[in-house]
Amino acid sequence: MKEKIQARVENVTKRFDEVIAVNDISLQVKEGEFLVLLGPSGSGKTTLLRLLAGLERLSKGNIYISDALVNELPPRNRNIAMVFQNYALYPHMTVFENLGYPLKIRKRPKQEIQKRVREVAETLEIAELFSRKPKQISGGQRQRVALGRAMIRNANLFLMDEPLSNLDAKLRVQMRAELRRLQKTLGTTTVYVTHDQAEAMTLADRVAVINNGVIQQLASPEEIYFHPVNKFVAGFIGSPQMNFFHGIYSNATVKTDYFEYPLPAASKENLKREPEGKHVYLGIRPEDVHVSKTKIETAHSIRAKVYVSELMGAETYVFYTLGADEQFISRTSPDFKGQMDEEIWISFNEERLHMFDSETEETLL
Amino acid sequence: MKVRSFFRYLVIILITLAIIFPVIWLVSTSFKNPVDIFAVPPIFIPGNPTTDHYATLFFEADIFKYILNSVIVASITTLVSLLAGTLAAYSLARFKFPLNLNFHLSFWVLSTRMFPPIVTIIPLFAMMRFFGLVNTRIGLILAYSAFNLPFVVWMMRGFFMEIPKELEEAAMVDGDSRMTAFRRIILPIAKPGLVATAVFTMILSWNEFLFALILSQTRAAATLPIGIASTVTQYEIKWGQMSAAGVIAVVPVLVFAFIVQRHLVRGMSFGAIKG
Repeated sequence: MKEKIQARVENVTKRFDEVIAVNDISLQVKEGEFLVLLGPSGSGKTTLLRLLAGLERLSKGNIYISDALVNELPPRNRNIAMVFQNYALYPHMTVFENLGYPLKIRKRPKQEIQKRVREVAETLEIAELFSRKPKQISGGQRQRVALGRAMIRNANLFLMDEPLSNLDAKLRVQMRAELRRLQKTLGTTTVYVTHDQAEAMTLADRVAVINNGVIQQLASPEEIYFHPVNKFVAGFIGSPQMNFFHGIYSNATVKTDYFEYPLPAASKENLKREPEGKHVYLGIRPEDVHVSKTKIETAHSIRAKVYVSELMGAETYVFYTLGADEQFISRTSPDFKGQMDEEIWISFNEERLHMFDSETEETLL
Repeated sequence: MKVRSFFRYLVIILITLAIIFPVIWLVSTSFKNPVDIFAVPPIFIPGNPTTDHYATLFFEADIFKYILNSVIVASITTLVSLLAGTLAAYSLARFKFPLNLNFHLSFWVLSTRMFPPIVTIIPLFAMMRFFGLVNTRIGLILAYSAFNLPFVVWMMRGFFMEIPKELEEAAMVDGDSRMTAFRRIILPIAKPGLVATAVFTMILSWNEFLFALILSQTRAAATLPIGIASTVTQYEIKWGQMSAAGVIAVVPVLVFAFIVQRHLVRGMSFGAIKG
């Protein structure tokens, strides 16, 4: 059976005066899927969400929700629910009234409202807050109420605009897990905006990485992490971010200012095209950088100097310098004790090597 | 520390006395027999108080007519300015108009308060006469509304700008139209501001003298301040009646302020919005 498409965005453009916030974006949201729009601030991800909600008017293109063209429909007729970054709870209403508001203005019978509010409150464990006002409850509780208000209506599409960013770090991790479970249990179709790549990786079925109003890559978190389509995606996902070395490719070797790196035979076969004589970036994630105090004969190793090492607990981030200004990072076992300015040997995990065209930033490997 | 707070209270008490003295004097005079009014040394609490002045006002001087005019003019003016001003303020606070009109319109609205009202009185009188609105309450209401609107627009605009726009966006997603979101979400939240603005507008139109003097020369529309001024006659100044009328004019405003005082304190926190 064909997967049902819950929302369709076709060639959508949004302009604010001179600025193009969303530039000819097309994407489809499958039923029951958790789609995360990920990008730096100003990338257009929130604008795209607001276009879906009907809070902004399209400049060009079409949006369909449940197969209905909604370009001209006001938010209330789109059968969507939305959770805002600052929760947007109605301060003059109690928690109960906040939760019931979407049903109340749709003139549903009192009994039904009571019943639904109770159900939702039980799921979210906020029933004991019913008579409180939003300012009398904690941030985490507000977050739940906002979520509950969105859940109450069985909307076709859930839109969330950085809903966890106002919570403290510990609560955020906890709510993130809860959100994921909730979405899977209820099977709601969700579009979620965030600039936090950890949220994207953990929550999403699929991630759309957005930059400058354009989708850079739309794929599963694994695909995006291990096979980024360009240097932007590679650099944006992962923390600490991927190391990039600028160099010139010739004869299957990347020559940087500080070292020469011959591509392993297997990698050479996987090259999308041979950028003979061109400027490229060699990319390697910090966890794929191996460090050793003695030269390893098997792998191609590079001499570097320890700049500083940071013990994070479960692992150590080691910063290295090559020559005067080239710096890079590795994630290493905490057993490695690198002294400042100590000369060591490093090597790369050859299967995880990336290469990008320095002009177009497209992935070559 | 004790000494400091003692002086602090002393200063507060002195200032309060200075402010309240004219009111005390007014009330006291309104109950005095004519001989006591100019007694030297001054009498603060009259030995044999009289209610003659009030009786004269109510039974001979037709003060009810003035009170009625004042109540009608002030309350309808408040209603009209609040209605129009609040809507204008909301659009200026929320919608983005082209050509930086948000700023220019707001400034233009305010600019009508940048000259003394007396400047407009002659053209205004001419216009009112042309439309047959001299000596009518409608004429006064129009004039007052025009002069109160800028004030309402600027006050309410400030209140609306403090309310995060996500609140009405949430309401619109939840099922409201722009207008019902405004009515059910924004207005209740802005209520303290609305009440404060209403109090100011009410008092301004209640106290207004200049326009009333020029635009309402007969009793058909004359308001209380005109009534009070009419105790100054060709031959004498009726101090007792004047004071009594003054007391009558102060009381409704006081009562009104007491009723809405609860709302004047901006307790309705906007803090529920931020985490």
